[in-house]
Amino acid sequence: MTTLSNHVPDPRLITAFAERRDGPLHRVNPWTKVGVVGALVLAVTVFDRLALLAGLYGAVLVVYGLAGLPYRRLAGWYTLPMLFIVSVAGPLAFLEPGTPIGGALSTPLGELSVTWAGLVLFGELSCRSLTVVTFALTASMTTKYTDVAYMLGRLLPRPIDQIALLTYRFTFVMIETLEDLVKAALSRGANFSEFWSNKRLYARILGMTMLSAIEQSERLVKSMEARGYNGDITLYGDVPRPPARELIVIAACYAGVVAYALVGVYEVVPV
Amino acid sequence: MAHIHLGEGTFPVWALVLWTTVGVILVAAVVYRVRKGGIKTHQIALAGIGAAASFAVFQLNIPVWGGIHMNLTGLVGILAGPLLGSLIALVVNIFSAALGHGAVGLIGANTLVNASEAIVAYYAFKTLMGMDWDVFPASASAATLGLSAGAFLMGAIIVVSGVNGSALPRGDLTIAVAGLVGLNLGVAVIEGLLTGFIVQFLASVRPDLVGLADRDTQEEPTGVTA
Repeated sequence: MTTLSNHVPDPRLITAFAERRDGPLHRVNPWTKVGVVGALVLAVTVFDRLALLAGLYGAVLVVYGLAGLPYRRLAGWYTLPMLFIVSVAGPLAFLEPGTPIGGALSTPLGELSVTWAGLVLFGELSCRSLTVVTFALTASMTTKYTDVAYMLGRLLPRPIDQIALLTYRFTFVMIETLEDLVKAALSRGANFSEFWSNKRLYARILGMTMLSAIEQSERLVKSMEARGYNGDITLYGDVPRPPARELIVIAACYAGVVAYALVGVYEVVPV
Repeated sequence: MAHIHLGEGTFPVWALVLWTTVGVILVAAVVYRVRKGGIKTHQIALAGIGAAASFAVFQLNIPVWGGIHMNLTGLVGILAGPLLGSLIALVVNIFSAALGHGAVGLIGANTLVNASEAIVAYYAFKTLMGMDWDVFPASASAATLGLSAGAFLMGAIIVVSGVNGSALPRGDLTIAVAGLVGLNLGVAVIEGLLTGFIVQFLASVRPDLVGLADRDTQEEPTGVTA
């Protein structure tokens, strides 16, 4: 039976963790989390040693745990990122030049083997990807809905901010609409286990979801215009600037990454 | 919906900067065109809720090859047009990255890929309908064409950028990426067929949505519920 996937993070669950829990990271300023995400993206891009990348990934995993978030869910949510890594890093592990691990398998196209360099590359790509995935989820699960909405309004130019705010608001509605449609079809005896024999049923459900979205947008237009919408969805609330100690942490993160890049990777500054 | 199927940090810094810059230029051009034309409230609402629907649809597991997920970018392009379709692609990529799908640093590259899908699907659909094709073959072909264009662009971006830490020559990397592009082309055909059925369904209940009737003459919403 196919219903909504449990290996794709459900925005409702993510928001519930942000709204109902109160871990140490819930009290960290949301702008600080955005800053750390940027530093992590830079770090996993410039770090060039597996041990360093594994250490960074381990540290982020510890932060995830300290925030009081569930590891079991995280393992399920790794399914798609790992699939992406395997889809490219898998072939690279075989094609990467280097010393073969064990014996080589003879094929009509030549010898096939995983090399040590390929295995290390696979490990590096996994650590790089999972580090940011884990912290992005940590930040999402510890930042309240109003704070996310406020930051979307501040970070994105108009009209993208308006679109993003409506998307954020209506994602929950559309997921429930889709879920209701799936449940209704199941209660009428539908079978989702095979795609090709049920392709029209899938199309009807997805089509109804899109149609429902379009009709909701038409109703929304009327209510927006009735309230005098002039291109601005007013945001209530405020996310203040991070306190000094958090600014120092962000600055230290960036300084550390840049220093490592200059000294250890690009060797601009000789040691 | 094709993606740069690589995680964060897989591209070198210069490639990250390059694709982010190209993505920003594309989005800036779209925003300029949208603002210049004077964006209407219904366009904002359609794009916002359309992106929410696209994001929601991704939650559904399609039982092919062990389970695939779709954003129906081709359908979004056909329904919303190339400009709003590109903005929807950007917003969906931002939300996806926040949930660990896609990558924060690759939002620019992924937006390029998905916007190309929406743009190609839109113009292919318009062209095929102008040639008197029936709704199903026109929309299925247009979506497949759009998604295929996205898959090739995705492969090209990976080959041009190279993989961080890999000593593999570009030729061998092309072979490795070709498998991924091939897989995406397979998914493009499935998603294209599904899009065809969806557009056929939408045309039967709201022909104005796909340009088969005048939008102004449309009566009250049909009130779709479960």
